[in-house]
Amino acid sequence: MRVATDIGGTFTDLVYVDENGGIEVAKSHTTPPNFEQGVIDVLEKSGIDQTAISTFIHGTTVIINALTERKGAKTGLITTKGFRDILEIARGNRPDLFNIRYKKPSPFIDRFLRKEVNERLNYKGEVLTPLNKEQVKEIIEYFKKEKVEAIAVAYLHSYVNPEHEKETIKLIKELWPEVAVTASYEVTKEWREYERTNTAALNAYVQPAAATYVNKLYNKLAEQNTTSKNFIMQSNGGTTTFGNAKETPINMVESGPVAGIYGSAVLGKMIGEENIIAFDIGGTTAKCSLIEKGEVKVSTDYYIERTDRNAGYPIKTPVVDIVEIGNGGGSIAWIDDAGSLKVGPQSAGAMPGPVAYGQGGTEPTTTDANLLTGRLSAKNFDYDVNLNRVKDAIETKIAKQFDMSTEEAALGIIRIANSNMLNALKLISIRKGHNPQEFTLVAFGGGGSMHAPALAREMGVKKVVIPLASPVFSAWGMLMSDLRHDYINTFIRRVEDLDLNEINNYWNEIENGAIHQFENEGVDKEDVAFNRFADMRYVGQEHTVKVPVPNGAWTAVEINEIVEKFHDLHEQNYTFKLEDTQIEIVNLHVTAFGKVPKPVVNKIHREGTLEDAKIETRSVYFENPNGWVTTDVYQRELLPTGQLVDGPAIIEEKAAVTVIYKGQSLHVDEYGNLIIETGAK
Amino acid sequence: MVQATKMDPFTLEIVKDSLLATGDEMFIALAKTSMSPIIYEVLDYASGLTDAKGQLLTQGNGVTGFIGMLSFMVKETLEKYGNQGDLHPGDIIIINDPYGGGGSHLSDVGLVMPIFHEGELIAFSANKAHWTEVGGKDPGSFTNDSTDIFQEGLQFPCIKLFDQGDLNEGLVEIIRSNVRFPDLSLGDMWAQVAALKTGEKRVKELCEKYGRDTIQSSINYHLEHGERISRQEIAKLPKGTFKAEDFVDTDGIGNGPFPIQCEVTITEDEFICDFRGSSPQVPGPVNCSYTGLVSAVRTIFLAVTNPTQDVNDGVFRPLKVIVDPKSIMSAERPAPVSNYFETLVGSLDLVWKALAPYLPERLSAGHLLSISSITLSGQHQDTDEPFLIVEPSVGGWGGADGQDGASGQFCVADGETYNVPVEVAETRYGVLVDEYSLRIDGAGAGEYIGGKGVIRSYRALTDGQAATVTFGRHKFYPWGTKGGYEGSPNEFYVEKSNGEIDGPYGVYPRYQLQKNDVIKLRTATGGGYGNPYKRPAEQVAKDVKNEYYTVEEAKKLFGVEVNPDTFDYKELDVRLNA
Repeated sequence: MRVATDIGGTFTDLVYVDENGGIEVAKSHTTPPNFEQGVIDVLEKSGIDQTAISTFIHGTTVIINALTERKGAKTGLITTKGFRDILEIARGNRPDLFNIRYKKPSPFIDRFLRKEVNERLNYKGEVLTPLNKEQVKEIIEYFKKEKVEAIAVAYLHSYVNPEHEKETIKLIKELWPEVAVTASYEVTKEWREYERTNTAALNAYVQPAAATYVNKLYNKLAEQNTTSKNFIMQSNGGTTTFGNAKETPINMVESGPVAGIYGSAVLGKMIGEENIIAFDIGGTTAKCSLIEKGEVKVSTDYYIERTDRNAGYPIKTPVVDIVEIGNGGGSIAWIDDAGSLKVGPQSAGAMPGPVAYGQGGTEPTTTDANLLTGRLSAKNFDYDVNLNRVKDAIETKIAKQFDMSTEEAALGIIRIANSNMLNALKLISIRKGHNPQEFTLVAFGGGGSMHAPALAREMGVKKVVIPLASPVFSAWGMLMSDLRHDYINTFIRRVEDLDLNEINNYWNEIENGAIHQFENEGVDKEDVAFNRFADMRYVGQEHTVKVPVPNGAWTAVEINEIVEKFHDLHEQNYTFKLEDTQIEIVNLHVTAFGKVPKPVVNKIHREGTLEDAKIETRSVYFENPNGWVTTDVYQRELLPTGQLVDGPAIIEEKAAVTVIYKGQSLHVDEYGNLIIETGAK
Repeated sequence: MVQATKMDPFTLEIVKDSLLATGDEMFIALAKTSMSPIIYEVLDYASGLTDAKGQLLTQGNGVTGFIGMLSFMVKETLEKYGNQGDLHPGDIIIINDPYGGGGSHLSDVGLVMPIFHEGELIAFSANKAHWTEVGGKDPGSFTNDSTDIFQEGLQFPCIKLFDQGDLNEGLVEIIRSNVRFPDLSLGDMWAQVAALKTGEKRVKELCEKYGRDTIQSSINYHLEHGERISRQEIAKLPKGTFKAEDFVDTDGIGNGPFPIQCEVTITEDEFICDFRGSSPQVPGPVNCSYTGLVSAVRTIFLAVTNPTQDVNDGVFRPLKVIVDPKSIMSAERPAPVSNYFETLVGSLDLVWKALAPYLPERLSAGHLLSISSITLSGQHQDTDEPFLIVEPSVGGWGGADGQDGASGQFCVADGETYNVPVEVAETRYGVLVDEYSLRIDGAGAGEYIGGKGVIRSYRALTDGQAATVTFGRHKFYPWGTKGGYEGSPNEFYVEKSNGEIDGPYGVYPRYQLQKNDVIKLRTATGGGYGNPYKRPAEQVAKDVKNEYYTVEEAKKLFGVEVNPDTFDYKELDVRLNA
């Protein structure tokens, strides 16, 4: 049996497929700081026979928590002579342009723990100054004295030639085997020294915490006599072994959230949709990502704590391309100094939560607006809802300011929230040159199904899918995942000067390395699959376009094909191409999958009538034209398959609600997904 | 189909958000396709939308210095073509006139595109970007020893690059033959054109969706919203008249320093900056035009009022700028303006300095001030291809109430500007970077210390390289406030391969470097805030351990005796009465 567990802010989710192909779900409270306990709790709560678990897949927030709460190890850094301040100088940028009191993000490693050694390579990787090992030894002694717990090593140009970094960590491991150590080439092989150094530093910083967590989890599982193969979800949408996770925990920063994106691609394959916009609305944020031809997009342009006011910290590891905005169910509606209505990014969170929870929340939120307009009913909450208090909050904080009715104000909150989310959805689609009409929106998370049908129509997306188990869809995605490693190497060559032998050897080298790594993780060579990409640009440009390129040995034919493809993609992304300009390769990127057997999801067939599934009829306040509309409310689990429900209608399930508008329709498909025709032309 | 939409406040807000998102989209599009590091790393460009009258609606900025220039470009376009009915769909106007419609230097080339809906002019999309090359007497075009505008490059006097969609091929040929790296310059021009078209497309879509009346209402609402926030903030500021004086170091050709001054008057609803009495325009290229001055004042006005708000012309309605004609900050044709930015930041700094003691919650002590630009040209040691580095430098910012100054940041006139990674520089250019580190010089002491400048050393790997360095704040240091000490100067030295050391210099045209000569750029440490004796002793001990200050400096400047081995510390009596 395959079991997936996903730790979220409030709940730890579990999803598994039973012997009959049926999907089962369990939920339990998240238990900080001993997160592994929550995992054990949810396993027990699910009632599954733990000795029967063959594969255990896990998504965790432990890494991102250690970073954002600054609870990592005391870390030292060793750099090339002349460059100890790389982390402190960073890139010098100031996104908060007009703020004279801008606070630059301070480095994770203090200056007294940043040490230099004599060694130097040039940009071709040739040694100009050999490594001074005596200095390395002195630094090790110094770090011991300072009670350092982890060491990062990052030298200039190590992405071309890692020899000096290798020698350094070898020496450290000999002299001080207990300390955690990371060389920059182990975590990224791309150029730009600040970004690579920071990635190495953060990996070292979280390594001890990650090792402790993974070990504890492993031991807890062993106590339950679980003999499963264990995997952890990485930011790239694939899994890796517990062993790898301890070595390179920085690959796990977005462990949970990406699983839902990956799951959308898998779901798409099941139901014959290959172009998908995956859309996840939680309590505080909404996230979206575009999947084209079944391909989840991955890049290394990832930062933590980056906002339009803060430069943040770069992490150059492969992360699924996600656009995230501060708009979720708990986002607070407020009026700015000049009288405009805004929603988010402040959130009421889980505690006190929206006014509706009755836990002390006083600021109206998107959830409150959804309740007041009848999209949600008081029965949907686990709390005792005081509707008057909700009405009062919206009335005094919003409606009065605009001299309008409470329901108009509530609808205003929903429209502004939708507008924010719409801008994020457009950012990944229309603004990247994609036509939304060719995409299907897969919506999940607690709030995805409530907002998606309206947003889809606005964007021109024709079809929305609300997957089975949509509130715990990330865990479902993990269940369906393969092992995955991304190998991204900076390799700067002009296409017209390309030496076919050299590049073919280079690809082979990467792929053989991947096969070797998978074999260590217990995956057979036959089960390894590769996709190749090249990050390319016109000579002179800085930014690149990721171009899918053919597997196997390249000849002049493939090169021509690649060049054509690049011109087309450049035009699609940026509206023009320069056919007479030389083209340059910057990075070679191989995604390697270690395929594992996936559970088969059963098809279902449910007889009955819509009338059987109907729970109630209630008034819902809709826009265009604005007014209360009598709306039928159905129980999702009782809806007969294949039968059309016409909008306006509401479908309720545990922990989520779907709202469709007039002119839209919906049916349950053979897997239990809700399929919505949005009425977009 | 035009949808009938009720003009409720939420629709206006949603349309406004869409306009802002369009500004962002245009901005990103330009960086992603540009050919020049000065654009894609330094982000030395701006793009945005104005209404049909040229009032700025939204601006995506990489640098603060461009704030305000787009509207002047559009207004110039309207004056020349709009009033005669000579603007048509598909037109794109090119303009880099420093004195009238644009306000910086020739290197910043502006493009303006009118946007029509059903035959009616409704908006403009515009951008302005620093081209690596526009010709002129020196590689990189902007130079620090020109004596008139004609030495500084090609002038585009508000003419049509596209006429109803048809490209002016002749103009493109002229550009190609007059600039040193035509592929870079023209590549950037195409990137600018693409970004403008994106703006046009989005605005038209909005008109289709919401109708022109709603768009117009939303534009008015947006401008009024900006104005309202500004007026509210001004009401909160201290009222009165505040003065500051300072100097612009040099004009680059041996003259200077030049006195500059400003009197800031804040009333219940106005913010007036009066620069009268400052130096007249000068022979060398540090002159700034009036539009440049307006951009400078707008930047500091935003910092003082509300740095987080959306930027549009409504915001600046309460702002007034007064200056003598033909002054160093309101120069007229044909005065050289290539290094206008040094006077631009100097003028900005006057307002900052005048108000800093009264607005500690918004303003810090003085910072490196200068763009600290360097251009370095020569040949790559492996490819023999010519290379050209054009980049600003990072340095120290001032301490402020409650926080130390940031180290290694670009000056206020830059912004979302990125330094060039050493690994990228060494691949592209014929140099080796010996060092890129914080400059530790004991300056900027205070309760909150000034941020550190940096040292960046370029070793020439071929003979015959030439460095043009323009470091202001070389003679007059970043100022401290409320008892904080001043910072240190921007300067550079050259360590020649024969061991000879030359320097320090601030501004220097075309310094010749031979193979293995090292040019060592040292930028300013920012000014301190508050009495250094008030800095917590434990923090001073940490500073010593981190090697930000020496044991001697800890004792002398901060009154704290720190043990160099254990970093235990003892407070000295001098601190008692601080």
